[in-house]
Amino acid sequence: MSYEPKIIAFCCNWCSYAAADLAGTARMQYPPNVRIIRVMCSGMVHPEFVLNAFSQGADGVLVLG
Amino acid sequence: MLDTKKLGSVMVVGGGITGIQTALDLADSGYYVYLVERSGAIGGAMAQLDKTFPTNDCSM
Amino acid sequence: MTLSEVTGIAGEAGNFQVTVKEHPRYVDMDKCIACGECTTKCPKKVPSEYDAATGKRKAIYVKYAQAVPLKYQIDPVNCIRLNKPGACGFCEKVCPADAVNFDDTEKMHQLNVGAVVLAPGFETFDPAKNWTWGYGRYPNVVTAMQFERYLSASGPTEGHLNRPSDGKEVTKVAFLQCVGSRDEHKCGNGYCSSVCCMYAIKEAVMAKDHVAGLQTSIFMMDMRTHGKEFDRYYVNAERDAGVRFVRCRVHGVEPEGDSGDLRLHYINEEGRQVEEYFDMVVLSVGLQIPDYVKELGAIAGIRLTHDGFASTSDFSPVSTSKPGIFTCGVFSGPKDIPQSVMEGSAAAAAVADSLAPARGELTAEKTFPKQREVGGEAPNTGVFVCHCGSNIAGVVDVEAVAAYAETLPGVGHVERNLFSCSQDTQEQMTQIIKEKKLNRVVVAACTPRTHEPLFRETLKSAGLNEYLVEMANIRNQNSWVHSNDPTTATAKAKDLVRMAVAKVNQQESLEPISVPITQKALVVGGGIAGMSAALNMAEQGFAVNLVEKTDKLGGNALLLGHSWSGESIQDRTRKLIDTVHKNENIVVHHGFEVTDAKGFVGNFTSTIATKDGLEKTIEHGVGVIATGGGALRPSEYGYGSIPNVVTALEFDRLFELKEHRAANAKSVVFIQCVGSREGNRLYCSKVCCTHSVQSAISLKQEDPTRMVYILYRDMRTYGQREELYKKARALGVIFINYELHGKPSVSVENKRLSVEVWDHILHRPLAIKADMVVLATAIVPNPDGEKLNKLYKISLDGDGFFQEAHAKLRPVDCATDGMFLAGLAHYPKPVEESVNQALAASARAATLLSKTSVSLDAVKAQPILENCDGCALCIDVCPYHAIDLAEHPVGEDGMVHKYITVNKAQCKGCGLCQGTCPKRGVAVQGYTMEQIASQVEAALAV
Repeated sequence: MSYEPKIIAFCCNWCSYAAADLAGTARMQYPPNVRIIRVMCSGMVHPEFVLNAFSQGADGVLVLG
Repeated sequence: MLDTKKLGSVMVVGGGITGIQTALDLADSGYYVYLVERSGAIGGAMAQLDKTFPTNDCSM
Repeated sequence: MTLSEVTGIAGEAGNFQVTVKEHPRYVDMDKCIACGECTTKCPKKVPSEYDAATGKRKAIYVKYAQAVPLKYQIDPVNCIRLNKPGACGFCEKVCPADAVNFDDTEKMHQLNVGAVVLAPGFETFDPAKNWTWGYGRYPNVVTAMQFERYLSASGPTEGHLNRPSDGKEVTKVAFLQCVGSRDEHKCGNGYCSSVCCMYAIKEAVMAKDHVAGLQTSIFMMDMRTHGKEFDRYYVNAERDAGVRFVRCRVHGVEPEGDSGDLRLHYINEEGRQVEEYFDMVVLSVGLQIPDYVKELGAIAGIRLTHDGFASTSDFSPVSTSKPGIFTCGVFSGPKDIPQSVMEGSAAAAAVADSLAPARGELTAEKTFPKQREVGGEAPNTGVFVCHCGSNIAGVVDVEAVAAYAETLPGVGHVERNLFSCSQDTQEQMTQIIKEKKLNRVVVAACTPRTHEPLFRETLKSAGLNEYLVEMANIRNQNSWVHSNDPTTATAKAKDLVRMAVAKVNQQESLEPISVPITQKALVVGGGIAGMSAALNMAEQGFAVNLVEKTDKLGGNALLLGHSWSGESIQDRTRKLIDTVHKNENIVVHHGFEVTDAKGFVGNFTSTIATKDGLEKTIEHGVGVIATGGGALRPSEYGYGSIPNVVTALEFDRLFELKEHRAANAKSVVFIQCVGSREGNRLYCSKVCCTHSVQSAISLKQEDPTRMVYILYRDMRTYGQREELYKKARALGVIFINYELHGKPSVSVENKRLSVEVWDHILHRPLAIKADMVVLATAIVPNPDGEKLNKLYKISLDGDGFFQEAHAKLRPVDCATDGMFLAGLAHYPKPVEESVNQALAASARAATLLSKTSVSLDAVKAQPILENCDGCALCIDVCPYHAIDLAEHPVGEDGMVHKYITVNKAQCKGCGLCQGTCPKRGVAVQGYTMEQIASQVEAALAV
């Protein structure tokens, strides 16, 4: 089987989360490997989350804000 | 005899984006609003638009 | 009230008796569950109005998928049963709710209201009325509204751009502008419809996303992209998206044999006759007032213009000729969405002014059942999976997702809904939450950014704390972006539901914070906009502080002559100033500027000061920024060095005073777009075309032998102003188009001015001898913007104007709650648009001022005292200064313990504190460390 990475993305409600919604509205297609977690600001993302995600098997973490 | 006192209710004729805005603002500031629409649902012309400038939001 | 029309209006302002005729729907609104069974069975297909006849609907139908109310209706003209008793009737048989009622009848209602607002809208021009465009004869000639439906994912082709005649993918489209506008011969509509240029560009750009390599051409006379940010879009459309603009009015469309292709003849910019083929032609149809609206005007007894628009004054743009009856939207003149929304609010303000004493008399607060306490209960989570019609269900296997949801921990109930957001589903959800005693809810549907507020209301109605809901975004971030891969999309939907369940199971009830409102307003700027806003709020009964930097009110209006419709700005402004001064609710602070501001919605404290340092503090609940703009001091065309080159405002003055240069001038040249639409100022100043045309008319009327030239890039006499443009041409004013790469130049020859410009019609350079050159200079933002931006945290756009919260839907609100915009501070605009925006600002402000308290979102930072050790790292990072350090001597050890406190009214819940805190001493409710960790865990669990 081909390699399917798991990626966690922390998205700010006001920009990148909205952008992800807009990508949908525009029907843009992208690989389904990303799981988005909505936060009120990317500044809310504690370094601990990033480490947590990696320790639980994530192949990548995006913090978008 | 007609009472000369003013009534706290308003009729908004037309349920497009403009009429909806008027109705909402009036309702939010303490008036009773009747929104009268000619067709079967409100929304008007904007509901027909696919996307709008500049954010290209779907207009729903 | 739907399917209803006004048939009579009696009475007078304050007390009207309105007769409303409600047409039968033949479907019982209370019973219809919008399942759509009826439509499936209905045998009758007719063109859909919603799809502008590009698609079909049935005789029993719902106007569109997201319609409000989402209730079916029968079209009596096309229904077989209603036309032939005993026939058909399938819908009645299949309706599971027994909602179809063929015996439904027309109802008449008598309603007493204090005021009437007419916002009946427009119809688009029907191009079939004239054969030259081939509309109705050649299938690939469509209207812009039809094109919009072809582009729409909910349209007849699901967003695929295939041409109607043969389904071939479109590769080359032409847009013809001004179909049904600026044309008295073919349609009788002499005015400009104002919106078609912009929508044509939008459609041309959007269409390119639908078909790779699509060529789009727009044939136009003038591009009228005068709105905020519109010119930048125009430039980008040409430069980046590759939309071609051809300055030529095409007079006819011809078919190319039977191929379906269409031939256009036109004259290109080199002056040659050209023939070009397109596989689709879009007619940019104008807006007009339908006959039934003209009848409504007659019923209301208001005056209409000869084009059928409601006649209004520039200083009271939403008041009709009859007191107590107001108008807004396209009925009072062609306008786009933001202008219409603004005017909608403005009409609300005008009504509120006229009915101020009766406010609150007939309204009742919406009440919700008492909240059920769920603190001690184990999660009993309900999962609602939305089909969103076929938006989700067309890609994701929703049944599998629902079945999977049942296996998740804490889940007690799962169901699927066709449209979770529809009113009837809302009611069902409320019932189920109550019946099943659900204490957490997950809605797997679209985005929380638009729909979370709705589902929060649903929970409230069900007696549950509104924060116990979480949305799984399986549409915008799943079915729409993975439509080619249903299997993976279904798997991802399961993951998203699992993550949402994991999070919501740890969610606790939160109480919204209620903040009292100071029922007073501060208006910054005493021009027309500021005064109009202040006066309207004052008339509504609210106390207003009006701060004006200079020693007199009036602003730019003091320099202007006449509005476009010919009203004297001087007279009206003087009257306005007088009324403001006399109003007891307004305190005017001359010579003051805002120097400091603190607080938040409902509770602002602003400090104002004079130059000499005299200070005052003002408590206010809302603020209106109306700081205006100014005229650019030009640095080109010899301004400042050649004496007879003057700005438009200077010329007005010279002309009015009959100063010899203006009075004796035999040849006057106006140069448009001086400082606008180029370089850093890539915006249209909106008023200058009309201004120059008005001045040109005055010059010609005073002395018809004068030569008057207007050198322009696009004449933007939009809307009903077009009449002035026509008048100027009829009077012999000469209009010469120039392009940015061939700007005119001004020199002095033998003591006379010479203006050189390339004439695009004659295809040669012209040298015009002139006695005076008038520069139509740009409107530039007030430099004080920067300061106010910092004080009130209201952002400026790239051009230095204040940024509204949403370009279309919230055109007067600032992103900062409780602050509003009006006038030139927002964007260049003429008098009636400034007044409109000012009234709108007042209406928006009144939605706050009319209440004694406002509820704020409960997502706030909460200190966790047992973990916080008062290190204060979070205080530095908090952008809202909402965190303070408190000291607290604690019992036995006698030590002074420090910890943080959060001012919840100032906290926006951004969580910078949470991200910074090394000790888990602070958490944002609804986004706690535990919750986010559980989402991460759930995301990676499979």
